[in-house]
Formats: sequence, C-alpha cells, structure tokens
Amino acid sequence: MPPAGIWIDALVQSSTYITMAFGMVLVFSILGILNWAHGQYYMLGAVVVFYGVTAAGVPFPISMLITGLIIAGLGMLVKKVLIDRVSGDLYVGAVTLALIFFLEGLASMLFGMQDKGLANVMPGNMDLGSFSVSYQKIAVVSFTLVVMIAMYIVLNRTKVGLSIRAAAQEPRAASLYGVRVDRVSLIVMGIGCALAAWAGCIMAPVYAINPFIGRIPMIFSLLAIVIGGLGSLSGAIIGGLILGFLNSVMTYYISYYSEVVLFVLVIILLLVRPQGLFGAALK
Amino acid sequence: MNVWLNRFRTFDWRNTWPKVVAAVPVIIFLLIPVFTQGEIVLNMLILSGIWAVAALGFTLILRTGQFSLGQAAFMAIGGYTSAILSVVLGWPWWVAFLLSGIVSGIVAMGIGAVVLRVGGIYFSIITLSLTEVIRIIAQQWEPVTHGSRGLIANPPPNIDLGPLHINFMANSIPFYYLTLLLVIITGLVFWRVGKTRMGGTFFAMAANQTLAEHEGIHLMKYRVIAFTLAGVFTGFAGAIYANYLTVISPLIFGLWQSIQIMMMSIVGGMSSLVAGPIIGSTVLYVLGIQLAQLPIYGISQLLYGAVVVLVLIFLPKGTGLIDLWPRIWRKIYKEVEDYEIPGEARQED
Amino acid sequence: MRKWHGITAVLVILATVLGLVASACAGGGEKAAPPVATGPVIYKMGCPTPLSGPAAPWGQAGHDFYQKWIELFNQAGGFKVGDTTYNVTYTEVDDENTPEGGAAAAKQLIFGDGCQAIVAYWSWGMPAVQAVTTPAKVLLLTRTGNEAVPQSEGGIYDPQKYPYTVFANPSHEQIISDFKAIAKAYPGRIIGIEDSTLGKGAGWDVVDKTLDAAGIKYHHEWYTPAATDYTPYITKFKEAGCGVIYNAGDIGAAFDTAKQRWDMGYKDIICGVAGPCVDPAVYNEVVGYDASQGFIDQYFGIWDYKETKIDPAIMAMAKQVNDDVAKDTGAPVVYTGWIGWMPSHMLILTQAMTKAGSTDPDAIMKAIQGGTFSTTTGTYTMSGAKTYGSPIVFGTPGALSQIKGDKEVYLSESPWTPLP
Repeated sequence: MPPAGIWIDALVQSSTYITMAFGMVLVFSILGILNWAHGQYYMLGAVVVFYGVTAAGVPFPISMLITGLIIAGLGMLVKKVLIDRVSGDLYVGAVTLALIFFLEGLASMLFGMQDKGLANVMPGNMDLGSFSVSYQKIAVVSFTLVVMIAMYIVLNRTKVGLSIRAAAQEPRAASLYGVRVDRVSLIVMGIGCALAAWAGCIMAPVYAINPFIGRIPMIFSLLAIVIGGLGSLSGAIIGGLILGFLNSVMTYYISYYSEVVLFVLVIILLLVRPQGLFGAALK
Repeated sequence: MNVWLNRFRTFDWRNTWPKVVAAVPVIIFLLIPVFTQGEIVLNMLILSGIWAVAALGFTLILRTGQFSLGQAAFMAIGGYTSAILSVVLGWPWWVAFLLSGIVSGIVAMGIGAVVLRVGGIYFSIITLSLTEVIRIIAQQWEPVTHGSRGLIANPPPNIDLGPLHINFMANSIPFYYLTLLLVIITGLVFWRVGKTRMGGTFFAMAANQTLAEHEGIHLMKYRVIAFTLAGVFTGFAGAIYANYLTVISPLIFGLWQSIQIMMMSIVGGMSSLVAGPIIGSTVLYVLGIQLAQLPIYGISQLLYGAVVVLVLIFLPKGTGLIDLWPRIWRKIYKEVEDYEIPGEARQED
Repeated sequence: MRKWHGITAVLVILATVLGLVASACAGGGEKAAPPVATGPVIYKMGCPTPLSGPAAPWGQAGHDFYQKWIELFNQAGGFKVGDTTYNVTYTEVDDENTPEGGAAAAKQLIFGDGCQAIVAYWSWGMPAVQAVTTPAKVLLLTRTGNEAVPQSEGGIYDPQKYPYTVFANPSHEQIISDFKAIAKAYPGRIIGIEDSTLGKGAGWDVVDKTLDAAGIKYHHEWYTPAATDYTPYITKFKEAGCGVIYNAGDIGAAFDTAKQRWDMGYKDIICGVAGPCVDPAVYNEVVGYDASQGFIDQYFGIWDYKETKIDPAIMAMAKQVNDDVAKDTGAPVVYTGWIGWMPSHMLILTQAMTKAGSTDPDAIMKAIQGGTFSTTTGTYTMSGAKTYGSPIVFGTPGALSQIKGDKEVYLSESPWTPLP
C-alpha cells in the first residue's frame, strides 16, 4: 500500500482530469468533434486569472469567475467565427489543432514564456500527522465536487440541460421539438471552455504558469475520456478517477515506466472495447 | 519547320497545357542545384521533401477514411532501423536504408491488421498512443538507441560513377536528389494507386463506409494495404531524415510531429492524392522556417496557426491549397475561350 | 500523349544530369579567401538555443546580457590577431531544444550567417551539432554531459573524430563540485538527485563514482520529462532519507518539487537546482514565499566568490553589463547565470586566437591545448591529455546561492577539480 500522501495526490490529479474531461466530453457529444485546443483554454484560464489577481488586484474567487466567463466567450467566438465556417469533422479537427499553435503563440507574445505563479494565493497546509495537505489542493478537490454537482443540476434539472441532452441524443429530432440546436451547441462550447478555464484557474496556485502548460492536461483528459468512454459524462468522471489513481500509484512503484503502462492500457482497452468502459455505441 | 509544328497540332493542347505547367515545377526542382547550391535553400527543400512523403502517406490513409495520428512513429521506426542497422550492427548503408522502409512497412502491416478494425476517432487515439509508446521505447532502450541523446547515423558511402564522384558529406546536393527521388517515386506509386481500381475503392470507402461495405468491399483489406504502403514510404522518409541530419532522437517523432504532418496534408488538400500533400508540406514547412526568423518571441506560432485556420476557412470543402489549381485554369480558359476542361476533377492528381 | 511522356522523360533525365554535374563541380569548389579590411574585422560567433517551446525562457534569459557584453568587449578594443583588430558578433538561432533542431540551426549559422565558431551551446544535442560543425571546420564550444563521456568510459564521444570540440563548461565536474558544496553547507545529509529520463546516461556513472569516493551519500530518482506531479518521487526521496533534493538542471521541475514537498509537509528537505537563478521574485511567486526559502541555485555572482580567483577587469565588465541592462530595462537585474556561459566561452576563444596569431581552427585548437586562459569563472590551464583525451575541458567552480527572503545570497563554494 502506498502512503496516504500518494492517495491524496491521486485525488488532486483526478480532479483536474475530471473537470477538463467533462468539458471535452460535453463538446464532443454535441458537436461531434474533439476540441484539441481544450488544453490551451486551460492554459488561458491560468494566465487570465494570474493577471486578474496580480495586475487587477481582484480577489481570487471573483477573478476565477470572471476568467471562466471570458474564456467561455472566447470559446463561443471561436465556434461562431471559425468552427461554423468549416464543414466536416476532419476540418473542424484541423482547425482546433491549428488553434493550439495560435493560442500558444498568442500567450507567448502577450504573456512571455517565463514561468509565473500564484503560489501565494491560499497559502498554508493542513497538518494530518505524518503528512500534510495544502489548502490549495483541498480547494482543487472541493471545487471539482462543486462543479460536478452544478453540472448535474444544470443538465438534469434545467430546461437548458434538457435541450442539451436532447441535442446530444438526436439533434434532428430535438430541432423538430423546438430545440435550437445551433444555439445549444454554442452554449455547450461556452460551458466546455469555461470548465477547461476553471480547471486552469484552480490549478494556477498549484503549478507554475507558462504558455505550454496546456499540453499535458489535454493528453491526460483525452485518455480519461477514452477510458471512460467517448460521449459519456459519467464515464469522464470515472475515467478521470481511474487515470489519476493509476498514474500516481504506478509512478510511486515503477517511476517513469508508468507512462508506457498507461498508453499500453489505453491501446488494449480501445481494441477490446472501443466504446470505453461506459461509452454508448459509436457515434 | 511546318512539319515540326504540325506534329504538335495533333496534341490536345487544352489537356496538355495544365500538365506542362504542372511538370515545370518538377523540372525546376530537378535543376535547383544548378542555380543555387546554398545549404540553406537545399536544407529547406530536403526537409520539406521529407515531410511531403510523410504527408503523402497520411493522405493515402485518410482516403480510406482513417485518421492516423501516428505517422511520426513510422518515421521514427524507419530512421532507427537504418541507423541501428548501419551503426550498431555495421551493415552496409544501402542495405540498411532499403530495410528501413521494409521494416516500417512490416510494422505498419502488423499494427494495421490489429488496430484498423477500430474506426473513427478511436483509431486516431490508438495511433496517438502508439506514437507515444514508440517514443518512450526509443528513449528508454539506452543500449541500442542511445536514449534521448540521439543515435548518430553513419553517412552513406561515396559513390563513384565514372567521372561522377558523389560524396554525401561534401554538400547537401546528393541528399537533395535522394529526397527528390523518394518524393517522385512515392508520388508516382500513389498516383498509380489512385488511378487503379484500388484508388476508386479508397474513394468509395472515404465517401461512405457502410455503403462500400455493402457493395462487397473488404474494408480491412484495403485499409491495411493503404496503411502498409504509407508505412513503407514514411519509413524511407524517416531514414533520409535521420541520415541527413546525422542524428535521430526520440524527441522529434512525437504527437506534435504527427499533428504537423496532418496539417500539411489537410492544408495542401486531400482531394488530390499527390500534389496536395506536396504543396501543403512545402508551403507550411517553408512558412514555419521563415516565421521562425521573426524577432518577436511567439509570433511564429501565432502566424502559423492563423495561416492554417485561414486556409481551412477560405478554401472549404476539403480542397485545401490544391483547389486553387483548377480554379486558375478555369479562369484562364474562360478568358481565352469559353471552354470546359474535360476531366477536370482528375486533373489535379 | 506518348510524345508528351517522351519529352518529359528527356527533360527529367537532362535536368538530373545537369544537377549531378553541378554537384560534382561543387564538391571540388574552394572557399573564397576572406576579404582584407582596414577597420576592425568582424569575427562571427553563433549559438543554437531554444527560443520557442517550453525551454524558451532558458534561451531568452541571456540574450540582452550577451549583446551588452559583446558591445562592451568591442568598445574595449575587441581582440588582436597579429596586427589586425577583430570585433565580435553573436547570433542566436532557434533549435527547438532538440538535437535535430540543433543540427539545422548550426547549418543556418554556419552556411547562412557565416559564423566561424559556435559558442555557448548548452543543450543536449551536442552530438548532432558537432556532426555539422566538424566537417565544416567550425569550432564548437559547449559543455560536457552524457554526450561527452568518451567511449573508453562507456560513453559515445570519440575525441579523434571530432577534433574541433571544446568543453568550455564542464557540467559533470561542476555538478560534482555542487554536491561537495552542498555537503559543506549541509553536512551529513543524504542528497537526493532528481533528473528526468532525458538525462539518464553514462555521465551519471562518472558522477556516482566520484561521489562514492568522496563519501557523499546520494539517492537517484528519474521522472518522466515534462511531468508536473512530483509527489510520488518526493515520497520516495523521503523514504530514502534524503535531506536535500537537488535537480540536475530542469528549473520547472525543481519549482514543482520545492512547492510540492512543502505542501506535503516535508519542510526540512532543502531543494535546489543545478542551474542559475533567474530571479528570486519568480521563486517566491511560483513556489510560494515560505516554500522558496533556502532554495539552492548555482551562483555566478563572481564578485562574491571566496575560493576562486577571477581577473578583476573581467569582473568589472560583468558588473558593468548588469548595470547597463538594468538601466535599459528600467528594473534591477539579479540574473547572473549568463556570466558563466557565453562570455567565458568567448574569452577562451579570443585569447586563443590572439595566442595563435591566426583564426584558423587548427591553429586555435593548438593554442587552446595546454594554454592558460582567464575566463569569467577563473583562470585555468588545461592539458587535454589529463581529461578526455584530445578535447579540452575548462573549469567552472561549483558555487551555490540560496534564496533568503526575496534575495539570492552566496551559500558555499567548491573549487573546480578535474575528473581523473
């Protein structure tokens, strides 16, 4: 059994993946595309919240909220201006891939490539005997819980949620029943990007911030939704948990070989059960 | 004189002119070392040629409806095969070079036979993971691959052809011709494939998988063929890459390189099996190099992304840059005489 | 249609033959003699360095300082070869932090910009770069590392094959000196050595042997490159009883390690990195104010050195550069890492050229072998035979600093000792 510190670390890791993966799955189930630039919205979230706190002096929670809204707006803008003008999944995928370069370049120009950090937001540790947990990490886990509950309520208890689910299931039928699918997809894009941005915000005090921090979370959340099943929201949560725990525990035992094991597992899983652990049929 | 001209009259000029014009770049590329021997120009052309072959392979696979994010892995396999065989095992260079493509093709066939039954986005993610696995193996298998410090490749031996002494180390020109040869052979093979029944089958599969399957097309068979073909030539490209840059290391063949290959192919235009990827990779590679000279940090990435997005928006319907070609000809013929080019759809191949 | 194919074929063959003839002619072509000028002649130096991607801050950090240093050096009269006065230029080209990028950038520098020497190359793509520089007869001044371990000791470096490579910064010796300096400052602690899998290789065998001989206890952990979560590794360091975790050169990883060990409550572990400190304010910001206290860096504030003697003129010039850059940017400058790199390499090269009385690479190499040179990090006499065979390795002391408050202060120092 690995020590308790590893388990807590795994929970923190899972939380990021879950928030990221949730937004990605949401976008995928409505638009039918993988938003490859999802990690860059995570990065932009961290960057914007950094400036919100340091330059504008806005308290962290409020600037986090504002950041989410800004990035959601950006995501909607991208959807409206770029993605809607390109037809075909392949080309939409290529646009989001090109956006990776664009957004990283933009951040490098405006933000600089040096590491920056918000480590002095919410400083301090909670002492738990043989080890301790920082308040920042507690914030990450509790924020993820809040997001999950909020998303559950939005999707299952509101009218918007109903139309989102309807559009995801059968867009044509949904539009016959008066759901404006293009508007719903715009909203979903906004929510997805906001979730990525919030994941970036809440992780900003934990890790260093630079224009390239989006790449790794993107790959890992992609693996998480693949494990859980593309298009399945609950799958994203469970995939994120599996990935986070597997990665932390394996790294503890076999250090850098964990990466190989992870990728091999994903390959085997996809070959045996392409729809993932919880996925619906192929889309 | 008149007889000479008359002969030409039997030509169908309308059909020939576009081809003549299309052949001009090929001739120009062949003659480039006569005009300039600048290492910078040749370096740029060699590397765009290498990426062009990789993009050609990607396009062929894309034609069968599969979206591979693992093309860089085959470059790595080809490069490592050639370097390991010639450096570590001391085999003759040309044998190692030929084997690089064959090994890469065999690996592609093996992987393809297992992986290609999974379709769509799952295939992309599997190939992505495979690339990462191959990268990590290359990084960790220290005794053979020398890890991330890179394996130094042996230069090809000198060739004596009567008065011609070809020395691969003296300048880049021999490598330039080797690369050009590979691009031309790959182009010709893929062009032939596109012209045959098999090419039609690929098209049918990309257009509508279900329908193609119901028509009695064995999807797996054709997909594996396309994947293997792409693997062979991408492997050769990787071998040239390793030998030209004198080193091969795991870092250059990762997800980001696969993404580059994909963007080159799509920007060039997949409606054409040969010209599109070549144009796309040359344009994007040269663009990337030129942008990197700009003095502001980060602006090169920004502009690179912007150019790709703009091409995708303003040349929609999956045509890419190659789509400009028939458009230009239509315009010219409209002006000269109102003439519709026969077989226009095929012309750009 | 048939005719068309025939004509194309003829043209293609014709073009190929022309190209091949051209290539054969080019092979025998000679380089034009350098033009004779009356004013100071320009000696061009260049460096492939990462300017894009995650490693870019490293490449960018020194840029202003290097240009200012060159400016001052030229103002002070440049250097003399025989009766000719030379001035220096320094160009940087992006290498994307890969060996292939390094080779491509070196080609650009040598054939495009006409650089006569590659200096201050610090990335780990050295084998690729020297495969470009050696046939072109261009000097390469770089650092040692895994790449530089000779074949006789299990490495890949072949001194006979690459006679134009000079190791102006000995990374192994320096990191060993660092460990000795750490052992001086924190006696009795087990040192945890943290490095990414990219750094694995024969170099560490050499380091381990020396540490064993010196009686310093250590423990290795390897992490995946670009990792962000170091909790499992820190746990293992803790289990091994380490009192210091010293990262082998990845500042980002060192940041994350320092922060995460603080989060985990292991406040007694000292963290550090084998690299220069960019700005203590960044440490406070990224790692957290409390967690960044006591963080160890390599230190190049040569005016604080206690055990290494440095030419006062060089020291004054280095200080002047920092003052000038501070004036230009309008902010106080605390970065000293640049001092140990390009200026040191440039001094070695220019002094060797003055001594040799020529800019011919063979003559310079002869002058460097066994010569004494005054660099920014001390004066060293090197006989190649004692170190790696023919390549020449210069010295750098292992001097360390520590973050105290928002300042970087001198911690300890261990003068350079060459490896056996």
